[in-house]
Amino acid sequence: MSSFYIEERDFGTFVNTLAQNTRVVGPVAKRQKFVFGEIGSVEELRLDYDITILPPKKVFFPPKQVIARFDADSVEGTIAPVDTVLLGVHPYDVRGIDMTDFLFRERNEDWDYLAQREATTIVASNVQKVAPRAFWASMIDTNEPKGHDAYLTKLDGGYVFETRTPKGEALLARGAFRDATGPEVAAAQSVNADALGQCQEQLPYTSAEIAKTIRESFSNEELWDELSKDCFSCGSCNTVCPTCYCFDMRDVWNLDQKSGTRTRYWDACLTKEFAAISMPGGGHENFREHHQTRFRHRFMRKGAYLNEKLGSPACTGCGRCSMACTVDIADPVRVITTIMEWS
Amino acid sequence: MPSESHDCACAERESLFVPREAKILHAHAPTSTEKHFTLQFADGSPLIFEPGQILEVGVMGYGEIPIGIASSPTRTHTFEIVVRTVGRVSTAINNKNIGDSLWVRGPLGHGFDVDALRGHDVLVVAGGIGICPTRSLIQYIADQRDDFGRFVLFYGARDPLQLLFPEDRGVWRATHGIEYHETVDRADISWTGNVGVITTLFRNTHLSEDTRVIICGPPVMFEFVIRELDQAGIKRENIYVDLERRMKCGVGKCGHCQINNKYCCIDGPVFTYAEIHELEEAI
Repeated sequence: MSSFYIEERDFGTFVNTLAQNTRVVGPVAKRQKFVFGEIGSVEELRLDYDITILPPKKVFFPPKQVIARFDADSVEGTIAPVDTVLLGVHPYDVRGIDMTDFLFRERNEDWDYLAQREATTIVASNVQKVAPRAFWASMIDTNEPKGHDAYLTKLDGGYVFETRTPKGEALLARGAFRDATGPEVAAAQSVNADALGQCQEQLPYTSAEIAKTIRESFSNEELWDELSKDCFSCGSCNTVCPTCYCFDMRDVWNLDQKSGTRTRYWDACLTKEFAAISMPGGGHENFREHHQTRFRHRFMRKGAYLNEKLGSPACTGCGRCSMACTVDIADPVRVITTIMEWS
Repeated sequence: MPSESHDCACAERESLFVPREAKILHAHAPTSTEKHFTLQFADGSPLIFEPGQILEVGVMGYGEIPIGIASSPTRTHTFEIVVRTVGRVSTAINNKNIGDSLWVRGPLGHGFDVDALRGHDVLVVAGGIGICPTRSLIQYIADQRDDFGRFVLFYGARDPLQLLFPEDRGVWRATHGIEYHETVDRADISWTGNVGVITTLFRNTHLSEDTRVIICGPPVMFEFVIRELDQAGIKRENIYVDLERRMKCGVGKCGHCQINNKYCCIDGPVFTYAEIHELEEAI
């Protein structure tokens, strides 16, 4: 909507004031890496991060989320959103949030996710340091992120702050912002354009090409065997993915053995039991028994099924899966390129 | 760290995952592994559903599982389910008795398209516990018999002790207008009927090409039944399959029941064979 500017020292005051009144979540250091965590003051905020271990989806879709509490004769839902400012989200992670917003909203609205999502103001920020396996530059042109409320770009001595929604505009009252000058806006555009050129990997195919070719590869067993032969079925690629949203539901008793919680946990389609059902006599029927079929399912989902629904692959190019995969077979650039070039 | 609770209307919105209490009005165990429950919501409200839809049924503290509704929406304001003891949740359900509660979400998914069946010959092929969700449709057709053409029902089980619904079977056998055939894979000394897998029932039954067919049973059964239907010239779009998958959410989110790009819980569990025959993960 409009562009504003805030000096570096005023930015510190802005963040501190915000954190004193609202829950603020942003990138913070964790040993040699970064995570999204609650921040109490601007000193903890690390907008110079390259990538966080887990994506910010955990703010709306926590790894472990209590859905209902029960007692002997009663069950109650637990939806209780907390006003939150999510600060410093890189554009590729904003795309991931856009996608999960759509998926949790379509057909059946999942208010256990959406309530916290609507209670959150997202301030995106420019990428100051590009992660080594990132390829978001080649994923971004087809799908500009749109789920954020404001966008922050670091310049020497201050920040350009672009408001995108009324929620973003409301933040202006919390800090010493002034209108940005033309040169400041131009400098911010230049900084963001420069970052696009720094991704080392690229995926040079259109969304439609990817959807078509991946779908056509379904029955190519040799290809999927080759791509997945070292897969441990550990689910790390699922866990770190900004657009993975599969979950399990489990009941847990309290010590009184009468009350407890129904909780959803992140789940991973790569794991062996994911599609298994119990059969009489203690047996199982597993609809995706082999690691090849589970690996294929993940790429079908990302590259074809969700791609057809979202208009782009359910992949943000963040590169987290490439880094998390012990045997380095999850890299979407390598996998999709192999599929596209297989003959 | 201060944390203000959010005061917008979204905090009041309902979770998709909070179940409703249903009281057990009647319960009996027709076999050593199955239990048949008649249920009614604790608040007295009716369950509005179509034959073939599913419920997530559970016991708090144990979890929930997807179960096909075994009664017809044409009959009373109660509803019935049959649960087979196979795992932790089904065991917890089957330990419940009259007066106890189960916790229910639903109805979920798409059932049988009864309007598409109306006016046509109908064949139901039910194997094992597959008779339970199809019983909903069988009762529905029996109650509105004049709306449908010829009605043939095939029911097969492993052995005579596994055959469910003895009273219903007596009615089906005696009802003019239902051609009821049953078989068991393995007979015992009391058995005088057909012995063999369910496809052996096709030998003596001529089907018109216009027949609408409903199939529900163990995964291994589908392929062989569909082979028989192909030979009878029945089109894929007139074959309905009721599929079983692991379903944790029942609302198209959790991903467990996905079959290629379809979700069994919201696109099914009833699909036409035309919809799924190219989905390699389906059957």
